[in-house]
Amino acid sequence: MDALYVNLAHPLRSFRLELELEAGRETVALVGPSGAGKTTVLRAIAGLLRPAEGRIAFDGETWFDAKAKIDLPPERRSVGLVFQEYALFPHMTVAENVAYAGPRRVDELLELLGIAALRDVSPGELSGGERQRVAVARALARDPAVLLLDEPLAALDAHTRARVRAELGELLPRLGLPTLLVTHDFQDAAALAGRVGVLVDGRIVQEGTAPELVASPTSPFVADFTGGNLLRGTARPGASGLTEVELENGTRIFSTDRLEGHVGAVVYPWEVAVAREAPTDSAQNHVAGPIVSLVPVANRVRIRVGPLTAEITAASADRLGLRQGEPVVASFKATGTRLVPLA
Amino acid sequence: MRRLAALAAVALLAASCGDDDDGAGSDLDGITVFAAASLTEVFQEIAPNARFNFAGSDELATQIREGAPVDVYAAASPRHPDELFEEGLLEEPRIFATNRLVLIVPADNPAGIESVEDLAADGVKLVVGAEGVPVGDYTRAVLENMGMTGVLDNVASNEEDVKGVVGKITSGAADAGFVYATDATAAGDDVEAIELPEAAQAAVQYPIAVVAGSENAGAAQGFVDLVLGENGREALATAGFALP
Amino acid sequence: MRRAFDVAFAFAAGLALAFLLLPVLALFVRIAPGDLFDALWSDVALDALWVSLKTGLIAHFFVLLVGTPAAYFLATRRFRGRGVLITLVELPLVLPPAVAGIALLALFSRRGLLGQELYALGIQIPLTQVAVVIAVAFVAAPFYVRQAIASFETLDQALIDASRTLGASPARTFWRIALPLSATGLGAGSALAWARGTGEFGATIMFAGSLQGLTQTMPLAIYAQLDLDPDIAIAIGALLVLVSLTVLLSVKLLPSWTRFTSTSLIRSAPSGSS
Repeated sequence: MDALYVNLAHPLRSFRLELELEAGRETVALVGPSGAGKTTVLRAIAGLLRPAEGRIAFDGETWFDAKAKIDLPPERRSVGLVFQEYALFPHMTVAENVAYAGPRRVDELLELLGIAALRDVSPGELSGGERQRVAVARALARDPAVLLLDEPLAALDAHTRARVRAELGELLPRLGLPTLLVTHDFQDAAALAGRVGVLVDGRIVQEGTAPELVASPTSPFVADFTGGNLLRGTARPGASGLTEVELENGTRIFSTDRLEGHVGAVVYPWEVAVAREAPTDSAQNHVAGPIVSLVPVANRVRIRVGPLTAEITAASADRLGLRQGEPVVASFKATGTRLVPLA
Repeated sequence: MRRLAALAAVALLAASCGDDDDGAGSDLDGITVFAAASLTEVFQEIAPNARFNFAGSDELATQIREGAPVDVYAAASPRHPDELFEEGLLEEPRIFATNRLVLIVPADNPAGIESVEDLAADGVKLVVGAEGVPVGDYTRAVLENMGMTGVLDNVASNEEDVKGVVGKITSGAADAGFVYATDATAAGDDVEAIELPEAAQAAVQYPIAVVAGSENAGAAQGFVDLVLGENGREALATAGFALP
Repeated sequence: MRRAFDVAFAFAAGLALAFLLLPVLALFVRIAPGDLFDALWSDVALDALWVSLKTGLIAHFFVLLVGTPAAYFLATRRFRGRGVLITLVELPLVLPPAVAGIALLALFSRRGLLGQELYALGIQIPLTQVAVVIAVAFVAAPFYVRQAIASFETLDQALIDASRTLGASPARTFWRIALPLSATGLGAGSALAWARGTGEFGATIMFAGSLQGLTQTMPLAIYAQLDLDPDIAIAIGALLVLVSLTVLLSVKLLPSWTRFTSTSLIRSAPSGSS
């Protein structure tokens, strides 16, 4: 079975990194804030770092085993690592860079990544997106068993990022390699990976598909990380199957989740509707307040009302003629209000 | 042993200094003397307060020609002083000491040199003064007198002054070298001296003179007088120089 | 006020230039070109040139051969005592040449630390051409090694890592990545070491002695000829200047065809061609 198996423990600056994961012919993303240990995991798999404990193996071949004192150097592990800053060799052309691991697939890979025209160009003259593609081609030239991507989109500007994200999203499945990618951006992970693991302070706090994480965050961190609003309050389950949550500011909302005590109510911005008056549908939660800020983002508008951020289409915003400071009501369904326990 | 005797002589000298040469002694502060390297120890004993520059006599002559500010010049051969006298750069030189050449080897004599003939053996490392340096010229003259110039094939280094030769022997870098008898004395137990046939010796004469245009002519003459005088001769004799 | 500042600094620059260049110029102008040329063709001068070139090149070869991997090791490995070790390697840099000479004698002479064994085997180092090579290498090596360490230290570790993850052994990484990218710095260190080695006097004269055609390098020949034939001394001096100038110029030429921009941290215009 072509699977990557990783189990490692390693002390980092202020906490201990401990994780276990497996990846078959799929793309798995490790997301988390900077410093959570994501890059350490990749470096350990590549052989650039020796974990204190654990075992790393691919398809039955042990690459690292602390107990058995096995630690294969990077050149003996079949990995392709795409560095965050790409690390292209500045004294070689694009073609020479790609050919570094082996000349066999150079032409094919240049074609695949769409950079055949750049083969004689020096890395210093490439744009960010182009450099990223060279880095990927170069890593693939080794015919690696496992592909590792370190923050593949971080070094790109916003405009390029969207385009490259789409291209990568198309490429990875075609390659069919076990791929582990690391990012601090949930949207990237959602777009590129089948499974996502959230790494916080050295541990995976939740793992699942991107939609699963959004639908059922199990911790405030995951909720916040996946882009949700987090409203703090006290929950009291009621008889009718609804749980009443009294927010810190006194507002009461309801949720279909059943929890008690200190909770965070998670509401995703795109599930919040904004109107001048409260709609008459009582199954909705309502938060009233003046518009604190209005920020257009692509073809949507993010509106902050009180403690809540809502995201509506630009068209809707225009239709409502919203202005900063005006009183509005933000509404969201009880079924869309998830509850996570607070410490 | 000879060192001890030399020191004793100096002590006597210093003691007697107080009576006669009081004036001359203090006048010597601040004069500059250029002297051949072989005079290093004895001149510093005679006049500890003077400023000295010890080097090969040829190098010193060059510096005098270039206008170095010096009051007295003492060389290990008459050649350079005579030239400078003819050029008007020096007062008339007077011979104040003579010396003789000896062959020295390191104290443990690793190459087993007992005579000049032994220097011709394969692999012997011989060090001599360079041509143009008095000790170098003397060495070649002596070897020619002995009909042994062949040993020069074993020369491993031509030194620019006699102390360079001594240094190569005391450091153990070379097997044998030609230096003045006074240098052998000064080097004490670090070297063993092998006497050369009297008949083959070159006339090693040391002239001294006041440099023309010296700003301390009076004190300079005082130094020359000291060297030529009784106290100077005693110190020179103790050091191993022969007196004219 | 600003004007006076500019003038003062320009004047200082002019003074410094004059101070450094006039003596060198004087070498070439002091005697007639014809005499200079004749002096250059004298046995003494040609022998000195030959000895300097031969011993200098051999010494330099070994300095590069051993010094480069040594510098790479010291620059890229972290281990206890690393700082101390690097300081020790730089020690000959601040050692007066005479001390270097004594030190080499203390090691290689008949009673020396290694000398005792060597002499027993019939190997006598002092006062030979090998001694010149050793003396030159001893004083020149720290100049190269120190510069090489600095060059290797500024290598982007990401490039080294990338090379390893692309299947290259540490040796191949050194050869194809570390060395080419450090070439400019290594070249500068090499030139410095060459210059220092060619000009070595004190250690050479004490350890190797001075014999025309064997151990009398150009600086030693200048010293020997000073009182015998000043014209030859000046000619050899002029020759040394020319040799040094050649080395300096060739190092200046080096960066132009091994021009490297800094590693992967360049951000050129975003979203270029597709």
